[in-house]
Amino acid sequence: MRYITFALAKGRLAKNALALFEQIGITCEEMKDEKTRKLIFVNEELGFKFFLAKPTDVPTYVEYGAADIGIVGKDTLLEEGRELYEVLDLNMGKCRMCVAGPESAKEKLKHHELIRVASKYPNIAKDYFYNQKNQTVEIIKLNGSVELAPIVGLAEVIVDIVETGATLKENGLGVLEEVCPLSARMVVNQVSMKMENERISKIINDLRAVIPKD
Amino acid sequence: MKEALLHTPEGVRDIYGEECREKQALIENLTNACRLYGYDSIQTPTMEFFDVFSKERGSVPSNELFKLFDRYGNTIVLRPDMTPSIARSCAKYYSDHILPIKLCYHGDTFINDNKYYQGRLKENTIVGAELIDDSTVEADFEIISMVIECMKSSGLEEFMVEIGSSAYVAGLINAAGLDDDAKEEIVNYMQDKNYTGVEAVLKSLNTDKEISTALASLPQLFGSVEILDRAEKIAENAESQAAIKRLRDLYKLLKITGADKYITFDLGAVSSHAYYTGIMFHAYTYGTGEPVINGGRYDKLVGQFGKDKAAIGFSVNVDRLLIALSRQGINLESEKKGALIVYHNDDQSRTVYVADQLRQQGIPACMITYSDAKNEDQYIEYALNSSLKYLILMPDLEDDFDIEKIGSVKVKLIDACQKTGQETEIEKILKGALR
Repeated sequence: MRYITFALAKGRLAKNALALFEQIGITCEEMKDEKTRKLIFVNEELGFKFFLAKPTDVPTYVEYGAADIGIVGKDTLLEEGRELYEVLDLNMGKCRMCVAGPESAKEKLKHHELIRVASKYPNIAKDYFYNQKNQTVEIIKLNGSVELAPIVGLAEVIVDIVETGATLKENGLGVLEEVCPLSARMVVNQVSMKMENERISKIINDLRAVIPKD
Repeated sequence: MKEALLHTPEGVRDIYGEECREKQALIENLTNACRLYGYDSIQTPTMEFFDVFSKERGSVPSNELFKLFDRYGNTIVLRPDMTPSIARSCAKYYSDHILPIKLCYHGDTFINDNKYYQGRLKENTIVGAELIDDSTVEADFEIISMVIECMKSSGLEEFMVEIGSSAYVAGLINAAGLDDDAKEEIVNYMQDKNYTGVEAVLKSLNTDKEISTALASLPQLFGSVEILDRAEKIAENAESQAAIKRLRDLYKLLKITGADKYITFDLGAVSSHAYYTGIMFHAYTYGTGEPVINGGRYDKLVGQFGKDKAAIGFSVNVDRLLIALSRQGINLESEKKGALIVYHNDDQSRTVYVADQLRQQGIPACMITYSDAKNEDQYIEYALNSSLKYLILMPDLEDDFDIEKIGSVKVKLIDACQKTGQETEIEKILKGALR
């Protein structure tokens, strides 16, 4: 039997996904040990391998077939735009991709004005402004603390993930427009889906039954 | 060394040595597989007018084409795909042909992939075949059989060919009466097998309940032949029903030759190639994340260049197949043969004669001069890297050549795993030549 390899986005998502897997009988004891320095974990009995990767790398591993299945946020999938099968919405880690900024910036989104948009997600930001709003904008790629940009005058608005909106509020910013809803997804390599159809379809169907409903 | 001059542009590369030999052997095997079905060769130019690959005919978006201009200002592109070129040349040269046209080809295609893939190949070698002016299910069968033949001829054992039908999907989409935007959105989601996305679009539209359930289940509609029963049940429109019947007829034929064991179906498959009208298929194997063979029926394409002609074809991505083979440890290199002749500088005339005699017998002979700084092992390594099987060390010619000295000419079999007894043959030629 060939191994089926899972790439999990590091962090809370991986933990929640593993809990979900446990419900359908896919376990990996090795992985629960928080002190371990191992990079790859194996369940010999079921023929599964697991590894953790930086979220933005998960679609890459899966596209190239280094991993058969990936668990990753929709935000990363949109930003990376890889050729994958997106087979399941795990309905967890739910949040929204939003345009945010000070109240005063609201007006600037209405008139196709050339504005500056700071984001960790330049592709999502570009697609939203160019293709959905038809507004020409300057995209500024940042790597963290994007909220800072409108405050210090680097950009008029930002495009970022909003969960509760608390960070925005504390800094005098707010959600101006919603780009799209986000949640965790299961993605599958196109060839794996075909070559290992039976095993992977079983995982998908089992998961469908245990995914939390709204 | 001029460092900057050493590099090739992004997405293209040099192929040399063993890899190059393997690639050529693979192209030959694939071409022979097509010949086995009586396909004739064709070559079309690397450059074509831009319009040959327009949106309706093309396989890649316009911004991913390599473009140049000719001296009259026409836009020229490097072909991103072979099929439209073949369709064009068929319309041009075979317009009065009354029997089916069977052609095979190999050539390089160029796609200026502008995504995040640095170093992903933009130049790909393709081997393919097209069967034009035959709309029967037997034609579908012939092409699928050739796909399987190609996979086998490359040495693969574990692979599968997955068949879908663009007519089946089109039947459902037409029955749903979606507008172009919704159609495009749904097709995009189906390409990603995004169940939730398809469901969400359908929910937002007011489509017939039965049809939307059918569309929503498409992304899961793949697997072995039983999936056809399910597909038949959920799509009642005539177009989809006819498509299923066609697939069943095809499967019946494939069963006769035992090819059915490689076949699966994907009724939710949609292609980015706008020109497909009937069956579409992909061949997969381990070791590469993408299909190695793509193809399908394109009954409306030739007509865009002239008279309507039904057609079906496939193309093998040779570079991708080569990667899959090497990752599966399958070696394609043909048997080593021929000899490396190492000779002393003052011994040219004799060596030239020996080499010529060998070549006349069809035995490859590669000559290099002897150097004191090199040892026998280094010559052996050189010979093996050049795919040669024997090492001939010509004796030093200090003394005048003497017939008795033939015995000191060393013919050495260096690739021990491939014993054929050819050394006696080479020795015979040597003795004859030196006399």
